[in-house]
Amino acid sequence: MTHHIASRTLQSLAVLLVMSFVVYGLIGLMPGDPIDLMIASDPHLTGADAVRLKALYGLDKPWTERYLRWLMQVLQGELGYSRLYARPVLDAMLPALANTALLMLGALTLALVVAIPLGIAAALRPGSAFDHGVNLVAFASVSLPTFWLGLMLIVVFAVHLGWLPASGMEEVTGGGGLADRLRHMILPVLTLGLAGMGQYIRHMRAAMLGEAHHDYVRTARAKGCGPARVVLVHQLRNALIPVTTILALEVGGLFSGALITETVFAWPGMGRLIYEAVMGNDFNLALVGLLLATAMTLLGSILADLAYAALDRRVSYK
Amino acid sequence: MTLPPRLLAALMLLCLGFAAPARAKDELVIGIYQVPATFHPNIESMLAKTYILDMASRPFTAYDAQWKLVCLLCETLPTLENGLAKPEKINGGSQGVALTYTIRAEAKWADGTPVTTEDVLFTMDAGRHPLSGVSNAEIYRRILKVEVKDKKTFVLHMDRLTFDYNAINDLRLLPAHLERPRFDKPAEYRNRTAYDQDTTNPGLYNGPFRITQVVQGSHVVLEPNAHWDGKKPAFRRIVVKIVENTAALEANLLSGGVDMIAGELGLPLDQAIAFEKRNGKNYAVTYKPGLVYEHIDVNFASPIMADKRVRQALMLALDRDLVNKQLFDGRQPVALTAINPLDSVHTDAVTHYKYDPAKAAALLDAAGWKQSGSVRRNDKGEPLALELGTTAGNRSRELVAQVLQAQWRKIGADVRLKAEPPRVFFAESVTKRQFPHMALFAWYSAPESVPRTTLHSTQIPSEKNNWSGQNYPGYVNPRMDELIDAIEVELNRPKRVALWHELQRIYAEDLPALPLFFRADAFILPKQLKGLVPTGHQDPSTLWVEQWRWDTAEDAPPVAEKTEPEKKKKNGKAKNHS
Amino acid sequence: MNPQSPLSRARRRLKHDRAALFGIVVLLLLALGAGLAPFLAPDPETLDLSAIYAAPSMDHWLGADELGRDVLARLLNGARVSLAVAAATALLAALIGTSLGLLAGYYGGRLDAALMRITDGVMALPLLPLLIVLAAIDPSKLGIAPETLGSEDFAIGRIVLIIGLVGWTTVARLVRAQTLSIKARDYVRAATAIGAGPGRIMRRHILPNVASPIVVATTLSIGNIILIESALSFLGLGIRPPLASWGNMLTGAMNVVWSAPEQALWPGLAIFLTVLAFNLVGDGLQRALDPRGEEG
Repeated sequence: MTHHIASRTLQSLAVLLVMSFVVYGLIGLMPGDPIDLMIASDPHLTGADAVRLKALYGLDKPWTERYLRWLMQVLQGELGYSRLYARPVLDAMLPALANTALLMLGALTLALVVAIPLGIAAALRPGSAFDHGVNLVAFASVSLPTFWLGLMLIVVFAVHLGWLPASGMEEVTGGGGLADRLRHMILPVLTLGLAGMGQYIRHMRAAMLGEAHHDYVRTARAKGCGPARVVLVHQLRNALIPVTTILALEVGGLFSGALITETVFAWPGMGRLIYEAVMGNDFNLALVGLLLATAMTLLGSILADLAYAALDRRVSYK
Repeated sequence: MTLPPRLLAALMLLCLGFAAPARAKDELVIGIYQVPATFHPNIESMLAKTYILDMASRPFTAYDAQWKLVCLLCETLPTLENGLAKPEKINGGSQGVALTYTIRAEAKWADGTPVTTEDVLFTMDAGRHPLSGVSNAEIYRRILKVEVKDKKTFVLHMDRLTFDYNAINDLRLLPAHLERPRFDKPAEYRNRTAYDQDTTNPGLYNGPFRITQVVQGSHVVLEPNAHWDGKKPAFRRIVVKIVENTAALEANLLSGGVDMIAGELGLPLDQAIAFEKRNGKNYAVTYKPGLVYEHIDVNFASPIMADKRVRQALMLALDRDLVNKQLFDGRQPVALTAINPLDSVHTDAVTHYKYDPAKAAALLDAAGWKQSGSVRRNDKGEPLALELGTTAGNRSRELVAQVLQAQWRKIGADVRLKAEPPRVFFAESVTKRQFPHMALFAWYSAPESVPRTTLHSTQIPSEKNNWSGQNYPGYVNPRMDELIDAIEVELNRPKRVALWHELQRIYAEDLPALPLFFRADAFILPKQLKGLVPTGHQDPSTLWVEQWRWDTAEDAPPVAEKTEPEKKKKNGKAKNHS
Repeated sequence: MNPQSPLSRARRRLKHDRAALFGIVVLLLLALGAGLAPFLAPDPETLDLSAIYAAPSMDHWLGADELGRDVLARLLNGARVSLAVAAATALLAALIGTSLGLLAGYYGGRLDAALMRITDGVMALPLLPLLIVLAAIDPSKLGIAPETLGSEDFAIGRIVLIIGLVGWTTVARLVRAQTLSIKARDYVRAATAIGAGPGRIMRRHILPNVASPIVVATTLSIGNIILIESALSFLGLGIRPPLASWGNMLTGAMNVVWSAPEQALWPGLAIFLTVLAFNLVGDGLQRALDPRGEEG
């Protein structure tokens, strides 16, 4: 078991290293550096200014050399400054991370609270009209384009009904209280939650059905336990295993945020931050953001393995 | 299943109860769409930063809403007439000028420290240091020497005497008492500056407001500077809320999340027009056409575009009036040349390109492009195929590009559109002159700004000059060069205006760029907000934020009592701009 | 139990699957509409500045957009673009995934380990940010001729390549797992024993047996690809106007969602219904092709 984790961790580190190199190169392939943009926007900037600024930002060196220097710094724990936000990378990233976590936790909670009971209920009556209905809901959920859903929710709830704020995290004046923050969370959480619950419904239902065929359920039934008890005690525990696994994998995605939803609702989260950093040629911020997101996904998949092993004693890693 | 009434009521309260938080009358929430990066006045130029910072700090000079140069941080504008500007010979024997400025007597940083020549000296040190990261160093190169007379008065020795010699708009003071200690390692200054590390330090600001809170990616809060010596601002708090997507920005306005949308950084024109049609009666919507010149740079390196007849034919084939009317409700004036009609040096007496497809066709025929099928071809059989590059994401511009494409198709020019993200478009295609034929974008400028960088033949970007200069077309006309050189140093106004007129005539005839429109900004303001005057140029309306107030004629807010006596006292003091 | 071919059984099962049938009907209608677009609606790129945001009428069945172009025509044209992108991408992803999965599963050992680590790596990548980086790369820095860069085919090809390059992992894993189990079966061992080469075994014995999971996974992935493409176009990094795609129609519609909400309604609905249809059909296929599945 320990061996398995150790080797997975090593592999993950290797993936991260390769990833950092590739992403650095990819961003390098994007045209234009910050100074080029400055020249275009400021008529008074002369050639001499350009040379001076490029040297100052280290942009006069080839990107492989810049990458090595960057890597050395990062290995020494120096993540550098975000050019875009003019502050240390971590300072710029932490608030966005917190905002994203809030959004994603809300959405996951909503998705699970709806998905688990629906999945169970559907699995109890396979083939019924109810089951078909749930199935359709699940498919509708995974087929929704989030940006459109978000837009439609804004149209209905913010503009026509005027019940909820259209965007942002809190009222900028007199806001910031719990109720205010909750109100601002409703629409984005609803958007992400609705779009995310479909897969959990399907997994939950499939897992429950899968368990129903196992011998122990049949035995329990034969022993005369009522269907309700069978479901709750035996099936549920085992059926939750694959759902937990998927959840662990999702948690990784949490860190790259939900760019589209964040864009539509002007939610200052990680997705937005990484997008801005990439588009604004903010090497340090973009790299750390992307690497963090990757690291978390890798960690998530290791956790998923562990959860799987812990919950299901039939699996063991040597 | 029915909900118990009490629960229902609670739910309703959650939904409705806080829906429109009652905003005090002495607060104003402004919506803009761009995130400001650094707040350092001299590092990186960015409209969102300028917009916010201009409420909290003041440049020495700026152009006001009448496009007149005024003193903001100084007492009197030095002129040759009042003797504060004295021409002088400088070392090389060329003509320079010595300018005497006096900082406003009561000007203070918001922590109470007076603004002094000490700050001027530090600002110069930082600006001149090659490692400080100051992006636009032109002003510091032009200032040869600073001579300090006393705490408040200093003399700038400039390396040239131009007609706008007394405009030092780019000189924005840094507080020496806070910033000098952070400048001991100049190479790290841009990361260590208090503007980014300690943004809410009152000592950084000398304007009517100071920044008191920055919530990254969300909003910036400004509160009055207790030591401000000018007109007392009417607002206790101004919040600038950043909503990067303009649909969400509009939603914020409709739901009361913001009070107004800044014209400088607000809705695209077509969106604003649609907004006005539905909600116009509840808001004061003002359109201010300004010094944003939407045009098409043509690449003279392309043999097709180098032919003047082709350029003129392309102009004649465009129905710009129709586009303006249908797309922009007639709000964007059609441009004759790069000079704005509101500019005092503008002339109407130039070639007009009224929509005339027949004449356009005749010109193309004469240039050797004969209609064959749907596309024109030359005698070698090559099609008249052109590429029009533009910035992706600027919606109005993308719409215009598509209309141009359709109009040119009618005279047999096959135009392909290529929209690139701004960073690609500006940093590569345009700056490095890689666009094959045409590039559609805009220039922002100040009033009567000489088009040296865009039209002078020494300003063609190349590998050799590190791609600086903005004569992207590669336009070379000796007479144009002479005119530009002459205008810059012609102090006699009537003579200068005559030169300007000739410049415009050549521009319209030669078409180094195809003029389209002057972009209009849409200011969407609450009806009760008074005193906000759009400027129409690159100095934003926030430079006069202390003039903004709620119109209290109809309903006097109770909070006014508190501020009234003080207001009267301060009103007595002279302001050097109005 | 009467013996029957898996295919006819699948067809019979599908016939009883109302959801899948619904999906098939939607897709057929869509294909028909896209194919007949030139006869049903005016040219999608013809402007009429006097008809900006025109309400639905006999001339414009669904009204006109921000430049007076026919919305229906653009929807149908967008369908062609979106479907072409989705089909090409799914094929590309299936091709890459199948080849890598077969190789990994068949040869095992180090090759397997290496390929699966790559798969894990790609799966761990934060998809959308990475796609944005890929979409923003300047292809001229890679030495591609500028003439090809401007063409519409290149714009489509680029999106296909970008999404295809990260979308193959599911198929690769599926194929590998199937290959592993089939490789151990007697008839494959027998074929190896009589000297069949690896290429022949993979082609003749393994590929036919992994075909149905590939088809199912690919069908299910098409919906996802349409969503990704429209999201990229929505962000301005995918298909750009004047070429119509559902994603970029929504970008334009978003700005005027207050004054002309129906502009956002149609492309959004089109995406939703199409993705739903592909998912339902994919799901139907999965159940229909499942040899263990119960009847009915």
